[in-house]
Amino acid sequence: MSRTFSGPARRWRVAVALGATAALGLSGCGLNEGNSSSGDSSGGGDVLRIGTTTDVSNFNPLQSLSKTDSWILNAMYPHLLRIDENAKKAPELAKEYTYEDGGKTAVFKLRDDFTWTDGKPVVAEDVKFSAESIMKYKLGNVAAKLTWVTSIEAPDPTTVKFHLSQPYAPFAEGVGFWMSIVPKHVFESAGDLSKFANDSDWVGAGPFVLESATKGQRYVMKRNEKYPLAPGGRPAVGKVEFRLYPDVNTMMLALRNGDIDLMGTPVPASAAKTFANDSKIKLTKVGALGFAHLTYNMTNKDLAKQEVRQALSMAIDTKSIISSVLQGDAQQMAGPISPIFADYDNTEIQPYPFDPAGAKAKLAAAGYSDGNGDGLFDGLDLGVACDQSNANLTRVVQLFRESAAQAGIKLTNECVERNTFLSRTKEGEYDIDASQWGVFDNPMDQLRSTYLSSNPGGINYNLLTSPEIDQLINDAAATTDPAAFATKIKNIDKVVHEQAYLTPLYVENFQFAYNASKFTGFVASPSDLLGMVTAYSLAQVKPVG
Amino acid sequence: MTEPAATVPAAEPAVGARSAWRTFFRQPSGLLAAAVLVVMVLLAVLAPLIADEPGGTSPDVLRSPSGGHLFGTDDLGQDIFAQVVWGTRTSLLIGVAASLIAIVLGTAIGLASAYFRRVDAVGTVVTDVMLALPTLPLMIMLAAIVNPSVWTLTVIIGVFAWPEVARLIRSQGLVVSAMPYIDGARVLGATGWRIVTREILPAVVPLIVVSVLLTASRAVISEAGLSFLGLGDPDAWSWGRILLNAQRSGVVAIAWWQTLFPSLAILLLVLAATVAGMRFNDIRDPRRNGA
Repeated sequence: MSRTFSGPARRWRVAVALGATAALGLSGCGLNEGNSSSGDSSGGGDVLRIGTTTDVSNFNPLQSLSKTDSWILNAMYPHLLRIDENAKKAPELAKEYTYEDGGKTAVFKLRDDFTWTDGKPVVAEDVKFSAESIMKYKLGNVAAKLTWVTSIEAPDPTTVKFHLSQPYAPFAEGVGFWMSIVPKHVFESAGDLSKFANDSDWVGAGPFVLESATKGQRYVMKRNEKYPLAPGGRPAVGKVEFRLYPDVNTMMLALRNGDIDLMGTPVPASAAKTFANDSKIKLTKVGALGFAHLTYNMTNKDLAKQEVRQALSMAIDTKSIISSVLQGDAQQMAGPISPIFADYDNTEIQPYPFDPAGAKAKLAAAGYSDGNGDGLFDGLDLGVACDQSNANLTRVVQLFRESAAQAGIKLTNECVERNTFLSRTKEGEYDIDASQWGVFDNPMDQLRSTYLSSNPGGINYNLLTSPEIDQLINDAAATTDPAAFATKIKNIDKVVHEQAYLTPLYVENFQFAYNASKFTGFVASPSDLLGMVTAYSLAQVKPVG
Repeated sequence: MTEPAATVPAAEPAVGARSAWRTFFRQPSGLLAAAVLVVMVLLAVLAPLIADEPGGTSPDVLRSPSGGHLFGTDDLGQDIFAQVVWGTRTSLLIGVAASLIAIVLGTAIGLASAYFRRVDAVGTVVTDVMLALPTLPLMIMLAAIVNPSVWTLTVIIGVFAWPEVARLIRSQGLVVSAMPYIDGARVLGATGWRIVTREILPAVVPLIVVSVLLTASRAVISEAGLSFLGLGDPDAWSWGRILLNAQRSGVVAIAWWQTLFPSLAILLLVLAATVAGMRFNDIRDPRRNGA
């Protein structure tokens, strides 16, 4: 009878239920209920509590990093250069850099007052070791930026020389900003650095160093007593605690209730008025280093045609998207170079106007017709892929679909769950990719990684293979004269715009909310990746009163 | 048989069909539940006449409920009332269609298990395994793999909802198949197929009606849950999607109307379906009728 196995069956059910509960518990325990006392025990007001949405997935600073990873690790491991409030490179560990040998050698001069938390000074050998490890194990996105390096020299403790196979204009900027410097004497003994977890006994030289990490809950960092970029040589805040709030609504409530002092993630444009009547909470606005865009898959037979791409660019009303979805808090763009790079942005080109009738005419001229009279061109059915968790882009795709229908173009909304979206992007399984570039620190690296057919950065989402574009980019990359370099970049900006390989949507402003009654002195950098939580900014923060 | 007698002695329905419905509607809760269901169905069918399909943008962003916008507006300035009305379509469609899938599968497996001993061994194990599976995580996984659309969601929800139905129908079927008239039919030479479809199935039909209502209400909740997690059809308005929009845009704390009204709609529909199912179950039970 069926009764005989009800015993084991029940046990199985209990086991599975336990497993499921455990799994749910892991993902759901980040709500931080009732743990507000933990920070207060260690020195009252000088613990800065920052809200974040995701866990640290990787503690090795040489690997590719997610947002929370890079906030925490950038506060621990110095970089040669940083990006300041005006989106310019500023000195951090390096005092300055120069090019020698016709651009084939980049020389960094380091400060001599950075110290690892175990007492040893930060020296040129650490920089050499970090770069050589990245090249040896091909780690993270920095490996692509070191492509041209033939050898590295550290003639004295404050000088590092990178010898390059050919001049590459933004080499020092790119490597200086992106590469984390790790302590050679600690990492050397770890063996294979591509497998090194670095998840305990941290030694850093930034303003703060991790003290404890509780997955799903919090990451506590204590200050480095010797940090030369902090006023007075030491950060004013004793501890920084990152707390996990998987949902932005909860995080905003936590800030209002005083459970956290700063939201690491930006406040959504539509939600900014949450803090309108709160005198303690202040908002700081910064620009972006990336931008949102529609990128067309060139392997699609329709999208391979310039007229179709131009028609699509005319079938989306970016102005109204900016005023509605972003509440006016964004800038329009024309070509692929963001206006934040004022020296390289070609101001002669204009965005495609929103003109559904014009788009229709263009498609008709290209041979498309509407035989069945349904108002849509026959055989033109394109999918727009996006990440369901991105509030702005899901709205953009929804509006794009409506406006494209006016131009006779049938679009299918293919906004899917984040991981599915990422894997589809990687495999090139999309017609139109609606997504957001996070941080481009210079236009040359951007053009190389998005348009070169060799796809060195892995983000040529057009899947473009154009010898012409390759030639233009490689020619610009080897140009060392700044004026000629800028002219060449502006020309590429124009060519890409005419080809309409992408439709730039907007450069968004980010707003960060913090409790101004408790902390002050943040130095905000552009982009949501840097924002208020860069190493430099955290070192400048002081408690109020 | 060691199976406990099911609550419903269904072989000889105590009440005739017509008087059963009369009893059903005489109870205020039954009448009210049926009325809510009818209104919901009307909303779904007549959605295009009641409100324009939500779309576009307007400058009236995040307005609280007023005469112009009964349920207020969202962060694009779209009318929440229109979204809820259009959402009724998706939610009801998925609820009904998924519950039909579950009923067909569940009834077939339940009846086969009840009558054919050999099928029972396999059927019961499969049902038990399915019941033991953590359905929500599995549905999330499946929905993430396939392209989200109303139809894929329906199939996923329906396929995970049948085991409860199968178990219910099986236990009822076991009671019926032990009755003397089934033995009689067998002696007269009726085939297994005939006995199951002509003799046992009619006896469990009332139970199927109850299951349809309860399964549909669970399917509506599943759909709202999956849509809220971003696994729903991005082109179809559903109640879960309205909630997702509010959560994603970070306006949950300042725009209560964007979460309250779709939640109320879910509550009303699920409550009405459940109450209707329970009342319907009650009137078939002579011990409850008291008449």
